[in-house]
Amino acid sequence: MRKQECVAMLLAGGQGSRLGGLTRKRAKPAVSFCGKYRIIDFTLSNCLNSHINTVGVLIQYKPFLLNSYIGLGSAWDLDNPYSGVHILPPFLGEKEGSWYNGTANAVYQNYEFIDFYDPEYVLILSGDHVYKMDYTLMLKFHKEKNSEITIATVQVPWEEASRFGLLTVDGDARITEFTEKPAQPESNLASMGVYVFNWSTLKQALIADAEDYKSQNDFGKNIIPQQLKQGKRVYAYEFQGYWRDVGTIESYYQANMESLRKGHFLNIFDPKFRIFSNEDILPPHFVGSTAEIENSLVCNGCIIHGKVSNSIIAPGVYVGKEVQIRDSILLPCVKVHDGSIIHKTIVGENAEIMRHCFVGADGHIASDQEGITVVEDNHIITEGSVIEAGKNV
Amino acid sequence: MSNAIGIIYANSETDNLQGLASERPIAAVPFGGRYRILDFALSSMVNSGIRTIGLVTPHHYRPLLDHLGAGKAWFLDRKDGGLFILPGVFHGLTGNNHTFCIKDLENNMEYLDKDFAENVVISSGNQIYNTNFKNALEFHNDKHADVTLIYKNMNNSSNLTDEIFLEMEKDHKVSTIHNKKGQQRKSLVQSYFVNMLIIRRAILLDIIEKYSSIGCIDLMDILSTNLKVLKIYGSPTCSLIGTIRKVKDYFDRSMELLDLEVRGRLWLGVDQIHTKIKDNPPTQYTSQAKVTNSLIASGCTIAGEVVNSIIFRGVMLEQGCKITNSIILPKCHIHANAQTDYAILDKSVKVNGENILKGTLHNPLVVLKKTVI
Repeated sequence: MRKQECVAMLLAGGQGSRLGGLTRKRAKPAVSFCGKYRIIDFTLSNCLNSHINTVGVLIQYKPFLLNSYIGLGSAWDLDNPYSGVHILPPFLGEKEGSWYNGTANAVYQNYEFIDFYDPEYVLILSGDHVYKMDYTLMLKFHKEKNSEITIATVQVPWEEASRFGLLTVDGDARITEFTEKPAQPESNLASMGVYVFNWSTLKQALIADAEDYKSQNDFGKNIIPQQLKQGKRVYAYEFQGYWRDVGTIESYYQANMESLRKGHFLNIFDPKFRIFSNEDILPPHFVGSTAEIENSLVCNGCIIHGKVSNSIIAPGVYVGKEVQIRDSILLPCVKVHDGSIIHKTIVGENAEIMRHCFVGADGHIASDQEGITVVEDNHIITEGSVIEAGKNV
Repeated sequence: MSNAIGIIYANSETDNLQGLASERPIAAVPFGGRYRILDFALSSMVNSGIRTIGLVTPHHYRPLLDHLGAGKAWFLDRKDGGLFILPGVFHGLTGNNHTFCIKDLENNMEYLDKDFAENVVISSGNQIYNTNFKNALEFHNDKHADVTLIYKNMNNSSNLTDEIFLEMEKDHKVSTIHNKKGQQRKSLVQSYFVNMLIIRRAILLDIIEKYSSIGCIDLMDILSTNLKVLKIYGSPTCSLIGTIRKVKDYFDRSMELLDLEVRGRLWLGVDQIHTKIKDNPPTQYTSQAKVTNSLIASGCTIAGEVVNSIIFRGVMLEQGCKITNSIILPKCHIHANAQTDYAILDKSVKVNGENILKGTLHNPLVVLKKTVI
């Protein structure tokens, strides 16, 4: 064991129920994103690019696919001799044991893990955000301000502000007020769910929180307001850059589609800040003589014979002849057979769409979730089916 | 558990690749969008359960080692066994005409000496194939053979390096080894040796010791002189095998990949070809892109027209450029309105706007690494 300056705790246990069919078989961090990536790649790659070598991944909901994807962490160079990735599921103690009951409770139950590395700082991360961030800059800010808790923040549009935890700061970036999802937002500075704590402060806060039976054991709802009330030095670190919460079908779809836009903030082509992933080795993709591809991302192992526009095609996808794919996201190993039309749809992993289907047809009634259709993982759509826009199948 | 270790001769040299192999051995020449030629031999061995592989390197081995690292991508970073680099003999200016030079092994006796495996699988490193050696190893054990030569029935040997073919008795025991190097080809179906063999480790050690006084001698020559003494058998294979000797071979073998059947037999089966992972982003097509009948690797940005071509990783094709019947190696940058036809562009070539590069089907144009046109 070696003492680490900073240990990261990655909260990856949530079900992500708002992603519906996409998280029925896997935890949200293991959902495919932007073709070849999975959502957790961004956070783990941030750790690598920030030289944070000790990462505890707190898991609970359907962990198998997530665990096997993370493995030893070697895809993110996190297989280090003295630290590395640790998968932390709920466990039994001598007398009792329980499921993780809230984000703070999950970290509390693993305080022995953090103590093992005896860090100065603990970085709390969330496995369901898409962003590129150098955590060392935030740590530097934390030290400069002699802060006890630092919350990473980002400016969000006013109309969306009420979806987030909002902060009010004074002239020195010290936080004066924190409100979780207020109906009437007084600020548009939102918490990203990324925190740096002094380990001593966090430990005390977690113990106090665990003893409070009324608490929901949540960082945003309980720990942060409680610490502010006690007058702790809590600062806001303003993050400049691309950050997206992909917790809903709509935001997941939008964030994926944004990556098609040239020169947008999440530059996956940047060689200085690369995003790594645990990819299967597949041959280059083949574009057949009847194919037409425009304004799209296409990954390895695909075979494309049809027409693809404004879409994201993940590894190992098959697109048959006379197929039209528009404004859609095809997740890994999807098969679309001859003559089908897919419009504004997220097709789940290993799903198969037989011949002459029409997925995402305009319905007669106003469609749900902005008209985005979702086909669940492993689902087979029989020949000739018509699925209306906004449906989940 | 495999009872064999592997040796790959990655030091075969040629002057016929017009610069594609001047800075690198043939084994390290990029192939098929994201692979190098060596990946095929290496993956075939790994997929056959061989976990100890020695690689005979040529004098310019930097690109090879750059690609291999510790062998992690082939699961060869092991405590027990793994990847071993066997520095080959430096042949001076004359080059090496042997396929399996015994001197190369003599210099690396330690590797053969310290292992406990019964057999050694030896392959050349300039062939494109996806073969599982399990059947041949079983055959070798069943026959209690000293040596098993792997052959393929073909009516011409244009796909092979050396024109060695075998004559066999009914039980597959080899009776004659014909070495037709340099002689005229006949269009008969013959059992051509495909530069892969299995030999008992003890016998290989014996041969190396006995022939140590002779400078450079090919293992195949030794086997044909000792045909009566050793139990040499032939085991057939029907895998696809393509040897890269000259530019035309490289071009044809590459273009064959556009055929689904070839890709199926090489890539889409149970045994995968492994290669170094680069973690490239997906390939981006802009709204001006027009691509037909082509293989495109990851990390490219495509705004131009691509027809019947193979595009490697990280290539940039600007708007209005036209790539037809060409092979574009990694990190090339083709500017607006440039055209290539029957061209092979080595790594990091930059073609400025409005240029037209034109080769022919029988004589593809090769542009050297890092050239700016």
